[in-house]
Amino acid sequence: MADDSPASHRRDPIKSSVGNVAAQRRRQNAVTVGKERRESLVRAKRLCRVGPSGDGDVPGEENDMVTDEEGFLLDAQTSSAVEDLKSAIAYQGKGAMQKRVNALRELRRLLSKSEFPPVEAALKAGAIPLLVQCLSFGSPDEQLLEAAWCLTNIAAGKPEETKALLPALPLLIAHLGEKSSLPVAEQCAWALGNVAGEGEELRNVLLSQGALPPLARMMLPNKGSTVRTAAWALSNLIKGPDPKAATELIKVDGLLDAILRHLRKSDEELATEVAWVVVYLSALSNFATGVLVKSDAILLLVERLATSNSLQLLIPVLRSLGNLVAGDSHTTSTVLIPGHEITDGVIKVLVKCLKSDHRVLKKEASWVLSNIAAGSIEHKQLIYSSEAVPLLLRLLSTAHFDIRKEVAYVLGNLCVTPTGGDGKPNLIEEHLVSLVQRGCLSGFIDLVRSADIEAARLGLQFMELVLRGMPNGDGPKLVEQEDGIDAMERYQFHENEDLRNMANGLVDKYFGENYGIDE
Amino acid sequence: MAMVVDYKHDSSFPYWTSIRRRFAPDSPFFSSGNIERELLAKQVALDFTEDERNQLEKMIDTDARGVFCPIVGCGARLTLLEDFEDHYNTRHTASCSVCSRVYPTSRLLSIHVSEAHDSFFQAKVARGYAMYECLVEGCDLKFKNYKCRQQHLVDKHKFPTSFEFFKKAHPSKKQRLKIQRKRAVNKKDEEVPSKMEVENEMMEGLVSAVSKLSTSDSSPSTVSFGRRNARGLTFVPQSIQPPLQKK
Repeated sequence: MADDSPASHRRDPIKSSVGNVAAQRRRQNAVTVGKERRESLVRAKRLCRVGPSGDGDVPGEENDMVTDEEGFLLDAQTSSAVEDLKSAIAYQGKGAMQKRVNALRELRRLLSKSEFPPVEAALKAGAIPLLVQCLSFGSPDEQLLEAAWCLTNIAAGKPEETKALLPALPLLIAHLGEKSSLPVAEQCAWALGNVAGEGEELRNVLLSQGALPPLARMMLPNKGSTVRTAAWALSNLIKGPDPKAATELIKVDGLLDAILRHLRKSDEELATEVAWVVVYLSALSNFATGVLVKSDAILLLVERLATSNSLQLLIPVLRSLGNLVAGDSHTTSTVLIPGHEITDGVIKVLVKCLKSDHRVLKKEASWVLSNIAAGSIEHKQLIYSSEAVPLLLRLLSTAHFDIRKEVAYVLGNLCVTPTGGDGKPNLIEEHLVSLVQRGCLSGFIDLVRSADIEAARLGLQFMELVLRGMPNGDGPKLVEQEDGIDAMERYQFHENEDLRNMANGLVDKYFGENYGIDE
Repeated sequence: MAMVVDYKHDSSFPYWTSIRRRFAPDSPFFSSGNIERELLAKQVALDFTEDERNQLEKMIDTDARGVFCPIVGCGARLTLLEDFEDHYNTRHTASCSVCSRVYPTSRLLSIHVSEAHDSFFQAKVARGYAMYECLVEGCDLKFKNYKCRQQHLVDKHKFPTSFEFFKKAHPSKKQRLKIQRKRAVNKKDEEVPSKMEVENEMMEGLVSAVSKLSTSDSSPSTVSFGRRNARGLTFVPQSIQPPLQKK
């Protein structure tokens, strides 16, 4: 919205404007098979290539993928840079500070060059204790910044490398405080975010060392790249699986307000990271979910879903909404009341997601709909008569498997009444008949044919509804027409006993000896 | 002792119930969205296009989504869930060239062929040999009649009581009417009995089945695919005539 602080724009990794050949090579390398490479791409850690004042190499200007030779050279340079840093720290004379900063800068540059920086070499040469020394209280900002930047990138790679930061953690946390300059605090938050992204063990260490409150406070200002980095670091810090951190976070004074404010007004990049915080709050902490449901959060999430087209933003916003619906029966029973404007709004944005081109959005939107369809009869009627159904029917026959499974849940949920006490739910004949007439049966039978146990189960359960619930005994005929008998007979030699029993039971009951005789 | 579950009372079918489903943040359900998040975040930095990102996603997906074939005794690893249908059609649809029944393994098919279309097999049964082998690979037990084998499957291998190796085929409407008419009229055997009837009658009794097995299909058929089971497919020379046909 309003102009961000000067730092924020330049914080964004600059798009490379290199010539074609180098760019092509980089792209090819990025997409190359190579499990380690793929793993590194999906890590929850982020390398820092550009600093707060815009310095730093333009990513990719140099070779991103170094050859073996170049790798050796880089390692050698790194070792010597660490040596330089060592002597710079030891040096007591005139210009000592500048010497230290220069040495740090050199090391930082080497650690920011490629996608796989020479971290191992740096660690072997003993970088950590030196960097910890550079973080001591009272050090000049530039020194703190460069040291934290080096640590950030050391922590951005393999697990053992991230773990090497342990001695530095208390100092990094300390420099998150209000007394620190913003760029320094931000860089420390980034380093801590990488550490938190490593795993549960390190998260617990950080939490026990008190990392959460200062990071939370960094989210309170209205804007700035610091807010964004802090939000990202927090999302890594609270992701559990222990819900304690999430519950602690929502209780921080002013945090809920800040979240709502950012969801309402902030630019998409910041809103994205804040939305991820909401994702983890709502997935892990029942307390946080309750607080969020009672606030304006759902309205704001719906608003973002309606107005944004950024996939990066839509994913966490949709998921937050989904978590709030899934996590608390209150959501569907007291907030999303059929007939209220907010409920119509939710259906509308879910329909928008179903129409999108993105697999994740279609799948997770279907999941949210399935949970709403698990509500009251009025909820089922609302969805049944909405724009969602034709879209869902089409997705059931054409979409990717993941999506089809979720769609199956929605459609099936529309056909049964809410589960009462006796456990045998009744059919909603009108919905069942209409959906079957519109051709959904073959989609369910396809699920029966799949090797996925859950999907097969769904398919068989829906077939049972059809066999039992279609009027005039039409069920068996319809199932036979779609090769349903064949699909069920596959289960005779299936290794899953439950599915075998289900399928055999249906065949015996509805296609027994007397099937079709009395016509 | 295996619990006998009677599906005719359908008290144990797990009916569709609509319930809310919640997932933990590290659930596999969310993993594709999480991957998308990280790739998008790095996309700008690494400057790859949406196509390249999709390609990457596909590869990451493939790593994670292999599945094993669930047909008993198969264990084949399928790289992608989508491969299952092709795999099934290639490996698990061994069809009998005599009666078109389909079996999921060639072993089961050849057992079927022996039991249903081989008069040599029936001759041995009539003489009291234990010819009906257990369907579970590796069990190797043999039984004197179909029902004993069936009971063994239920007792020892937990097959459901409703399981029928020799499942009645599901005739088309035309066939069903034909059967109905035939039942209304006296059994006269004017024409060559249909394959359906041959099999129905076999269920009733073995000795009578042997004599009724007078169709030209009684010599073992050649298996139309895959591995040959040497045991069940001995060729019956022309000179050994099937028992006299009742007129």
